Amino acid sequence: MRQPQEKIKNFSNALLNAKSQVGQCSTCFHLTANDECEICCNSNRSKELICVVADSRDLLALERTREYKGVYHVLGGLISPMDGVGPELLNISSLIKRVSEEAIDEVILALTPSIEGDTTSLYLAKLLKVFVKVTRIAYGLPVGSELEYADEITLARALEGRTDI
Amino acid sequence: MRLQLEVTKNRLLVIGPNGIGKSNLLEAVGLLGSLRSHRSANDKDLIHWNENRAIIRAAADTDEKLELELRRNGGRQAFRNGKFLKRQLDLLGPLRCVGFSSLDLDLVRGEPSLRRNWLDKVVLQLEPIYSDLISRYGKLLRQRSQLWRYNLGSEVESMDTLLDAFDTQMALISTRIHRRRRRLLERLNPLANLWQKKLSKGKEDLVLNYLPGSVLEESEDEALWKSAIEKQLFNQRSIEKRLGNCKIGPHRDEVEFLLNGAHARKFGSAGQQRTIVIALKLAELELIGQLYGDPPLLLLDDVLAELDPHRQLLLLEAVGNKHQCLISATHLDAFEKDWNSDSQILNLDN
Repeated sequence: MRQPQEKIKNFSNALLNAKSQVGQCSTCFHLTANDECEICCNSNRSKELICVVADSRDLLALERTREYKGVYHVLGGLISPMDGVGPELLNISSLIKRVSEEAIDEVILALTPSIEGDTTSLYLAKLLKVFVKVTRIAYGLPVGSELEYADEITLARALEGRTDI
Repeated sequence: MRLQLEVTKNRLLVIGPNGIGKSNLLEAVGLLGSLRSHRSANDKDLIHWNENRAIIRAAADTDEKLELELRRNGGRQAFRNGKFLKRQLDLLGPLRCVGFSSLDLDLVRGEPSLRRNWLDKVVLQLEPIYSDLISRYGKLLRQRSQLWRYNLGSEVESMDTLLDAFDTQMALISTRIHRRRRRLLERLNPLANLWQKKLSKGKEDLVLNYLPGSVLEESEDEALWKSAIEKQLFNQRSIEKRLGNCKIGPHRDEVEFLLNGAHARKFGSAGQQRTIVIALKLAELELIGQLYGDPPLLLLDDVLAELDPHRQLLLLEAVGNKHQCLISATHLDAFEKDWNSDSQILNLDN
């Protein structure tokens, strides 16, 4: 209540503008004010590599690594029958269209290792494998953590996903 | 509310009328020892109704000081020797215990779910991360049954692909649950049989049979079991579609008790069934003691008075002075005299 009238007005206008201007990218469904998002428009990103994420927050987390040079596809959630979310409510048919019509080399599934995440990954893998190579990000230990302090569940998963050296 | 108690003898009898909090006291010890309550899955139910938190503290003989704090708005904090524990599992060890309550008396003749829960509780004592498998499996089952209720319209193809995704996950987790339950029964069987023989004066021979809810090859091989379960899950789909529940997996497991070759559940007398439960509990005590080197505590919640004098004495003799016992009952005179002697008595009557 102590804030000046003007400040509140600006803030609420900003919220309204965000609501009216921000939409979804027509290709990857990331948040954007334009028809296509910055990543899809960027000619330096390789369009042959698609990383599939559950929502835009996950995309932003991956972007912060500055390691990934491909493009994305935002599903808008994970398959969870208990929450009434089936595949048709997610941006899956558009992903299949993309993969089947464009020249894609690889699809990386970057979904959380929960039941819902794994179900969605397995479902997508089955549908996409006929067109393209499908991979999944590794489960493992956070960098900087000591092995002896890692919980057993993480350790067991990390062991399962071990790679050649 | 606050209770402080020093246990000076190897045996503590907690006496008091119903509702005074005898079981709460034993439950608190069990909770600190296993991080689980046998009665409630929700921490809120373990906190006094007008308090925001509950604290259990204990000092063990080994000079270990354990503390567990439960909060109404969720979250637990564990401390060992005053140090905050990042992983609550690190609290386990100094206060390992085996609970035996009147609810366990139905283990042989009750519903199969009782026997599955009992198996899971023992596996958890041996391998705490087993809880991850159990909770993942439960969630998969719930998601799967919801999937059938959820109308996917005409997209039959997508339904089948989705079921494949569930089958793959369930087959792997089922394999791991089956394997742990089967191994546990193999280890318990000789111990339980020894006790059964002792308790029946050599007359009764006990065999524990694992009847898995999936058809499994005799030889234990993860890849083999997994693909077999996946196939079975696939084959039962049309039945599952009609009935709405999945017919394959560890949620259909059963344990069979054979007494001199006959089914104890059907043909055993009430007394024999109780003796089996005692033999199973003693086997559990022994197995955990063998594994960790220290004999665990025995929590006898409201159960001793349910046993006839003869079995009370057998149990007393078997437990001896090896295990520290915490025992609750409404009346002291429900016990055989031998139980009272050399025991510390806590009277909660006032």
